[in-house]
Amino acid sequence: MIEPPPADDPGTTAPSRPERVRVTAPLSGEPLRAVSRVSQAADAESVIVNGLIRSQLRLAVICAIGFSAALVAIALVAALPALDDLLVAGVPVSWLVLAFGAYPPLVAIAAIAVLAARRTEVQFRVLSQRTDLDGPRA
Amino acid sequence: MIDELDPLIGYLAIAAVTVVTALIGFLAVRLSRTTSDFYVASRTVRPWWNASAIGGEYLSAASVLGVAGLILLQGAEGLWFPIGYAAGYLMLLLFVAAPLRRSGAYTVPDFTAVRLQSRTVRRLTSVLVIVIGWFYIVPQLQGASLTVEIATGLPPWAGAVAVAVIVGVIVAAGGMRSITYVQAFQFWLKLTAVAIPAIAMLLVVSGRDLDSAAAEAFPAALGPVTVDPLATTSLMVALLLGTLGLPHVLVRFTTNPDGDAARRTTLIVVVLLAVFYLFPVTIGMLGRVHASDLAEPGLADGLTLVLPGRLVGGLLGDVLTALVIAGAFGAFLSTSSGLVVSLAGVISQELAGGTVRGFRIAALGSTLVPLVVVLLIEPLGLAGSVGLVFAFTASTLSPVLVLGIWWRGLTARGAIWGMTTGALTCAAAVAIGLAMRPEAGASLDEWSAALTQPALYTVPLAVLVTVAVSRWGGGRRPSGIDRMLARLHVPEARLDDDIDGRRSVG
Repeated sequence: MIEPPPADDPGTTAPSRPERVRVTAPLSGEPLRAVSRVSQAADAESVIVNGLIRSQLRLAVICAIGFSAALVAIALVAALPALDDLLVAGVPVSWLVLAFGAYPPLVAIAAIAVLAARRTEVQFRVLSQRTDLDGPRA
Repeated sequence: MIDELDPLIGYLAIAAVTVVTALIGFLAVRLSRTTSDFYVASRTVRPWWNASAIGGEYLSAASVLGVAGLILLQGAEGLWFPIGYAAGYLMLLLFVAAPLRRSGAYTVPDFTAVRLQSRTVRRLTSVLVIVIGWFYIVPQLQGASLTVEIATGLPPWAGAVAVAVIVGVIVAAGGMRSITYVQAFQFWLKLTAVAIPAIAMLLVVSGRDLDSAAAEAFPAALGPVTVDPLATTSLMVALLLGTLGLPHVLVRFTTNPDGDAARRTTLIVVVLLAVFYLFPVTIGMLGRVHASDLAEPGLADGLTLVLPGRLVGGLLGDVLTALVIAGAFGAFLSTSSGLVVSLAGVISQELAGGTVRGFRIAALGSTLVPLVVVLLIEPLGLAGSVGLVFAFTASTLSPVLVLGIWWRGLTARGAIWGMTTGALTCAAAVAIGLAMRPEAGASLDEWSAALTQPALYTVPLAVLVTVAVSRWGGGRRPSGIDRMLARLHVPEARLDDDIDGRRSVG
């Protein structure tokens, strides 16, 4: 029974990455082991890449939903009748909320998305370097 | 009746911005020699330059004049347009920026061709890019007509012809390297041109009694409560997703050194746009208080040009007016030239094998067609007609781009059916909606409003058809799909220092 390369780093491993279990018990002998190590490295790499794509997509969708929610919130606040009568510099606050309220969350979410995407890529690099050390690339 | 401005100011402002634009362009021509230079500035443009250039390219007549005009004309409804124009870049950042850069594609058709390995898809995408580009140039030339008419008193066609000629010559002579610097300059020009007059006007009115006019200037009948939720959602879908597929925007992403830089560039663009739109919005609301007589279709788009002269007056007023005219004219030049570059790139690669000579001929051709259209048709509002182009892009190119980047199941057949469905339904809805209008410029009833703002149903339909045909249409997935997706999403191997000298990570 060959154990998979250790991946016991909960901080950097995407939760979607499945635990890999080998059920074959190869006979001893050089050629067979070499083959199995190559395909193992290729498998591990494609698992890591798929994990990367999934977490980047999850990030993008969460940020998009977050911004949509912010827009809905702004539209609802701007629709409060009480804000129509409240004037700042001669403009009803309801108008001001709609006019200027969307830009701070827009910039904030964009900044968060850049940082989070970069972090995901750093984690990916760490993971893929580790698999490089464990076996040759396919 | 719209205000008459001193023609001398107008001529001076337009001449100045043209000369400076041409100068920067032609100075940079010396650096632009190889075919690769012509197409994407050899991928050596830094994020700040690149972001400024994207902003300069993107901020069109619709942003510089149209947003303020729309707020004056339609009230709170108009406030949604700049939000959508800016937030489109968030979607670009989230779903497209880094993978598109890593794909190495020069243009949208390049991307679809590489991703789907299909000539038919490539040709269809090219046709769509060209149609989108032409329809996007049309409102730019219309804005130029309006500006030149207000600024100099010349007949409307003069402005359209002037912009078309200048753009055709600059693009054919310089290619994109020079355009990058021209565009970056144009962004800061446009920002100055709306920011300084807006601030000056705020200072002038700050001493006055503001509250007494509020009820009249900001009536509850046009307030945020009255905005139709369905129409607004549809508009936001169009503006947010339409930005993803704009051909002149996408071509800029290939000039980033890597995927991470593409994301950083986009973030800077979001910030630049968020700052920029504060000012057209302010001018629009000032216009509601101080220029309610301009709140008519056809006049409202001139608000930004006329208001500084009215509120400030005197020599300072003339200077501010000249600045706005220069900024507006710059907007038509920069957006049109950006569009012409990407159109010429697509046309020449399709027909002339991507030679420099083919690019030059295609550039001249891409300016002529929209010019003819402008001289023949009657203008809609600037922000509105650009909104239609966004809806069309969101229904055609955007779904295929996003699905191509994130879904390995996309097939060429699915893309073809999806794009065709989106294009036909969107075009038909808009055409019927416009034909149903009682007269040009009249307000729309519910049905024609739903037809002329179709993204809410045409985008999901296009996505649905694309997915369904990809899954069950019998087409084959392109070979090597795993490797392709890995190429789009795996971060590039870095040198120790990236282009900004920042230590690399990992």
